[in-house]
Amino acid sequence: MSAPAPTMPIPITPDPITLAVVRGALHQIADEMDLHLIHAAISPIISEMHDCAHGIYDARNGETIAQGGFGLPMFLANMQYTVQNLLEHVKADGGFQPGDVWIVNDPYISGTHLQDVVLVAPYFVDGECFALLANTGHWMDIGGSVPGGWAPQAREIHQEGFIIPPLRVVKAGQRNEEVVKMILANLRLPGQIAGDLEAMTNVFHVGERGLNDLIGRYGNSTIRGCIDEMMTRSEAQMRNHIASIPDGTYRFEDCFDNDGIIDQPLPVHLALTVEGSDMHFDFTGTSPAATGPLNMAETTTRSLAFVALKHVFPDVPVNGGAFRPTKFTVPKGCMLAAQYPSPVCGYTDVINRVIDVVFGALAQVVPDITPAAPFGTAGVTTVSGHREDGSYYVGVYPAPGGYGGSAESDGLTNGTLPSSLAGFMSVEMSEHRYPLRFDYFAIRENSGGPGRHRGGCGTSYGIRALRDCVVSVLGDRADHAPFGVVGGGSGGSLEVRFETGGETWTPPMRSKAEKIPLAAGEAVHISTPGGGGFGPAGERAREAVEQDLRQGLITAEAAASVYGAKL
Amino acid sequence: MAAIVGIDVGGTFTDLYCARDGLPPRILKVPSTPGDPSVGLMNALAAADIDGNAVELIVHGTTIATNALIERKGARCALITTRGFRDVLELGRRDRPKMYGLTGVQRPLIPRDLRFEVAERLDAQGQVITPLDRDEVMALGRSLAGMGVQAVVISFLHSYANPAHEQAVAGWLAELDAGYEIIQSHDVCNEYFEFERTSTAAVQGYLQPLVSGYAKQLSAKLGESTFPSDPLIMQSSGGVVPLSQVATRAANIVRSGPAAGVIAAAALASEAGFSHVITGDMGGTSFDVAVIINGQPKVARTTKQDFRIVLKLPMIDVHTIGAGGGSIASLDKAGILQVGPESAGADPGPACYGRGGTRPTVTDANVVLGRIDWANPIGDRPLLDIEAAQTAVRGLGQQLGLSLEDTAEAILAVVNHTMAGRTRLLSVEQGLDPRDFAFVCFGGAGPLHGAAIMREVGIRTMLAPPEPGVLCATGCCIADIRYDQSQTMERALGDLTDADINTTLDALRLSGEAKLADTDTDLGTANVSYTADMCYMGQIHNLRVGIEDGWSAAQLTEAFEIAYRAEFGNTLGNIPVILVSLQAVVSAPPPGRVVRTPQSGEARPAVAHAQRLVHFGGWHETAIYRRPDLLPGMHFIGPAIVEQDDATTVIEPGMAARVDGYGNLLVELSQ
Repeated sequence: MSAPAPTMPIPITPDPITLAVVRGALHQIADEMDLHLIHAAISPIISEMHDCAHGIYDARNGETIAQGGFGLPMFLANMQYTVQNLLEHVKADGGFQPGDVWIVNDPYISGTHLQDVVLVAPYFVDGECFALLANTGHWMDIGGSVPGGWAPQAREIHQEGFIIPPLRVVKAGQRNEEVVKMILANLRLPGQIAGDLEAMTNVFHVGERGLNDLIGRYGNSTIRGCIDEMMTRSEAQMRNHIASIPDGTYRFEDCFDNDGIIDQPLPVHLALTVEGSDMHFDFTGTSPAATGPLNMAETTTRSLAFVALKHVFPDVPVNGGAFRPTKFTVPKGCMLAAQYPSPVCGYTDVINRVIDVVFGALAQVVPDITPAAPFGTAGVTTVSGHREDGSYYVGVYPAPGGYGGSAESDGLTNGTLPSSLAGFMSVEMSEHRYPLRFDYFAIRENSGGPGRHRGGCGTSYGIRALRDCVVSVLGDRADHAPFGVVGGGSGGSLEVRFETGGETWTPPMRSKAEKIPLAAGEAVHISTPGGGGFGPAGERAREAVEQDLRQGLITAEAAASVYGAKL
Repeated sequence: MAAIVGIDVGGTFTDLYCARDGLPPRILKVPSTPGDPSVGLMNALAAADIDGNAVELIVHGTTIATNALIERKGARCALITTRGFRDVLELGRRDRPKMYGLTGVQRPLIPRDLRFEVAERLDAQGQVITPLDRDEVMALGRSLAGMGVQAVVISFLHSYANPAHEQAVAGWLAELDAGYEIIQSHDVCNEYFEFERTSTAAVQGYLQPLVSGYAKQLSAKLGESTFPSDPLIMQSSGGVVPLSQVATRAANIVRSGPAAGVIAAAALASEAGFSHVITGDMGGTSFDVAVIINGQPKVARTTKQDFRIVLKLPMIDVHTIGAGGGSIASLDKAGILQVGPESAGADPGPACYGRGGTRPTVTDANVVLGRIDWANPIGDRPLLDIEAAQTAVRGLGQQLGLSLEDTAEAILAVVNHTMAGRTRLLSVEQGLDPRDFAFVCFGGAGPLHGAAIMREVGIRTMLAPPEPGVLCATGCCIADIRYDQSQTMERALGDLTDADINTTLDALRLSGEAKLADTDTDLGTANVSYTADMCYMGQIHNLRVGIEDGWSAAQLTEAFEIAYRAEFGNTLGNIPVILVSLQAVVSAPPPGRVVRTPQSGEARPAVAHAQRLVHFGGWHETAIYRRPDLLPGMHFIGPAIVEQDDATTVIEPGMAARVDGYGNLLVELSQ
C-alpha cells in the first residue's frame, strides 16, 4: 500500500447522533457480509456451522473497524492480525489497487489452519484506499494427506495441505483464472470450493455497497472522524477495564499432556503484566514447537488472548481500539508462535490452553470477574468405517464439558468450547447415520471441581460399534485437570477407555489415540473434564451441597470429606 | 347481526376486537388480570356491551403459557427416559447462554432428582433392542404418586419411529390412577432429535395442568354468560384450536399473541395488494419483527424459549429485540448513546407517566418532540407529565452536550436505527431486497416509528392498519383452525417407494382431519398442504419444500433441487437426497367468519382536525388528523400526526399518506 495518509481527508469530529448511527451502520455492514456468505456458501461448515468471519479494517494500519457478529469467536482478533501481516506483503508488491482481491491461507501469516482461507479487498474512495474488506471461510478440503485437513500424524505443514501465499486472485476486476485453476487442482472437492470462492468474492460487493451508502450520506471526512472516535473510545473503555486491575505481573503455567507422538508434557507459561492501563502477555517459557501438529500461529495466540479477555469483559467492543492497550511476547518457534514447517492442524486443542492461562493469571488478582478453568479440550472422537451397504462414514464427536465456577455462580454443564459455538450431534441422528449405538449420554457425576461455586460437571458417553470400525481420539487434560481458582478444586480430568477383546483399557497417551480398531460389539467410553471450582469448598452453602447430593451430582462421601457437610 | 370477537390477553392489557356484519368494528382495551386472566377477558366482553347471543365465535390469544414459562410457575413434573439418558433434557446439545462470558445458570424444567430411567431401548428403525419391564415401570409409577408430581413426561429414544414403548408405559401409569397427567413425547413432537423432542414434551408437561385449569375456568365463566362457551385459542403457528383441546396442546400456544398479530398483518397486507411484508409490532418493552413471503408468514421449526429450553413445534418466526416505548436511553461505557435493552417496564414506566420514573425513555422523547400529545394521551391514561419527560431527557442531553430537542431526536434516531437494522437483516437473511417489501407497523408504539423504520430500511410503503393498537385481537378473527402433523423419515429418497411416501402423507392427513372433525367443522372446507424436510446426505440442516399428495420420490428430489438452487445458488450433484420428515397442515376457516369488502372512495384531500408544533429536525406547524375522520380515498402529506384511541401515527416531512378501501393508511415517500 502506498502511503495514503497525507492525502486522506481530515477527519471531522462527529456529533453524538452521527457517531451512534454510524457505529451501528458499520456493524450492520459487517453483519450483512456474514449473512450473505452464510446464505451463499456451498460448504455446510460455513452455511450451517458459521465457520467464517467478515470485517472492515483501517487501510492505514489494518486495525479492525467493525467485525460481523455471526462468525466464530476464535476469529475475533485473528482477522486484524492477518490483515496487518498482509499489509507488509502487499506493500512490497506494489500496494493495493482498485479491483484487486488478495487471497492467503498460509497459517504463519493468517493463523488458525490451512482450511481457513482469507480474502482481502481494498475499498477506494476518491482514488484513496479508505478501508480493507476481509473475510475468512473454512474450506471443506485443502489437499494434504487426509481429507478435510486434520492430519494427526503430520510432522510438517505440507502433509496438512496446500499453502496459498498472498496472491491477487482478482486483479483490476478480472479473476486470475490461472491462480484459481492451480488452487482447485489441489483440492478434493473442487466444484464445491469453487462455489465457496465465488461466494466469498461476491460478499465484497455487499460491503462496498454499504460503505458507498454510508459515505454518500455522511461524507468521507465524517465517517473517518467517526471511525477514529470509535477507536479512541474503545481504547479508553479497554484501558478503563485494565486500569481496574491492580498493577503487577501475574504468572501462570499449565501443561498439555503430550503431543500424541512423544509422551512428554508441554508447558504453556504466561506472565501477564498490568501496568496502569497497559497489559503485556509474555509467553516466554512455553514449550518449543511440538513434533506433532499441536502448534499454533502467533496471530491465533493473540486472538485467543482477546477471546479470554472478552469472556471476562463481555462489553468491550470488537475493534482495533480495544486491542491497542495490549502487547505480546511470544517466542518465535514456540508451540504458540509456530514457524515453517511446524504442523498446526491440532491448533483446535492448543487454543484452549491460551484461554485457560489468561484466566489463571487474572484470577489471582480479579477473581470477582474471572471464572475457574473450563474443560479445556476439543476432545474430538472420530469414528470411521463402513455401513452395511459398503458406504464409508466418518462420525465426529467433539467433547462437551463443564465450565469453571465463578464469583457469580456454579459452572455450566455440557458447555461448548469458549472459542466456538459448535454443538454436539443428536444421538438419534447419529444412530440413523452411522452403525454406532450410544450406551449412555449423561452428566458425569462427581466431576465438577469442588468450591464455594462448584465447577460444571463433565459429560460421559459410551459409543458401541455395531460393525467393525476405527476410532481416534484427540484430546487433552487427562494428566492436568482444569484448575480451580481462589481455593477451589480441580475438575475431573479426561478419561478415555476402550472396551475391546473383553478388556477395558486406557490408551498409552491417555488423551490421544490413533486408529484403534473396534470389532462389532466393542466400545469406547469417554468422560470429559468438569470445570474448576471457585473458592474454598468448605464455604459452599449447605443447601447447595444438599441439592447436589439429592441430584446425584456429588457422592455422600464427597459431601462429607470435600464439603465437610454433616448429613 | 352476526358477530365474531377476537380477544388478545397481554401482560398489561386485554384487547378486544369485535367484527360485526354491516357495522364498524368495536374495539377496546381493559387492564389484564394476571392472577386469573379469564377475569380480564370477561371484563372486556362486558365492557364491549355486545349481545352475547349474536356472537357466533370468540377467538382468543393468550400469554398464560409464555408467562408461566418465563416466571417458572408451571407444574412439578417428572421425566421417565430410556436407561442411560435421563440427563438429555439438561445437557442439551453443547452450548452456552451467551457468545461472550462463560457465566450463567441453567434451570431445567424438570430437575435431576425427578428424572428417572427404565430399562428399554429401540434402534433408529424402531426395532426393540431391550424390552420394557412392566414391574419396574409400575414400581416407579407408584413411587411417583408419593412425590407430589402433577405431570409425568415419558420420552424414550426413537419413539417417533415406534411409539409402542411410550404408549405402553402411559397405559400402565394410567392404570394406577395416581392423579398426575401423562405426556408422551411422540404425541407432542413426532420427530427425531432426542433433546429437542424431550424439551418440547417437558414444556407440554410443565404447562398442561395450568392451561387445563384455565380452560376449565374460562369455559365455566362463559357457560354462565350468553356467549358461546367453547372459544378458539390462537396457537404459535398462527392457526387456532378449540378451548376444549388446548390443554393437550399447551406447548403450542407459547407465542399465541405475537402470532395473531402477524396473521392479521399478513391478511391486511394481502387485501391491500402486498404479498411480501415485514411486520413490526412495537409495544412497551419490545419490538417483534416477522417476515411474510408470498402471503405466508415464515414459520420457525425450532425456537429457543430460554437457555436449553427449546420447542420443536411450528411457530410463526417472530424475532424480538429489546426496543419499545419504555426502553431507556443511556450512555454506554464508551460514552456513546444507546437505547434499550433496559426498559422502564410498566412500573414505574416512562418519566412522563408520573409514577416515579426519572430515566429518559423512547416515549419521553416522543412527548418532548410533540409527537405524542401530552395533553391528550391514547387510551384511558391521565395527562402525561411533559415536565418530567423534559427533565429526564435534558439530564441525558447535558452529558452529551446537546439541546433538549436534539437529545430527544438522538434517542429516536438510535432506537429507530436499531429496529431498522434488525428489520433489514430479516430481509437479507431471506436473500431478498428490502425494497420488495411493504412494512406493516402495529402495536401501541409501532406507528410512531414506522415511517422512520421504512425510510431507514429503504422500504417503499408503510401500512398502518385501521386499529394498530389491537391488531393481535384482530388477527384472532382472521385465523384458520389449524393442525400441524409430522413424521420423521430420515431415509434416502432412493430407498423409499412412492407408496412409502404416500402412505405416510395419508396417515398425517387423516390424523389432522380427525382432530378437525372434533371441532364440528365441515371437512369439505378443509385445506390440506404438505411439506417435506430434505437435505443432502451428511448435511445437518435441511430445507422445507412444499409438495403435493401423490408425488413420487423422483418428484420430491426434483423439488428439493429446485429449492436448494434457489436458496444456495447451486446443487451438490450426485450426493443422495435424504427425506428427513414429512408434514401435513390441515386447516379450515372457523364457522361464522366475517368477510370484509373494500369500500370505494373518491380521491380527495383529508381535513385536519387541528394544528400543533411537532419537532422534525426543527419545530414544524403540523396537521393533526383524527383516524375516524380518515375515509377511503382521502390523502394528505407530512408532516402530520394521526391520532386514535389505540395508537398515534407519525407521517414525516417528505412523505405522503392515503387511505385505501379497507381503511388502511398507506404511507410512501413523496415523489
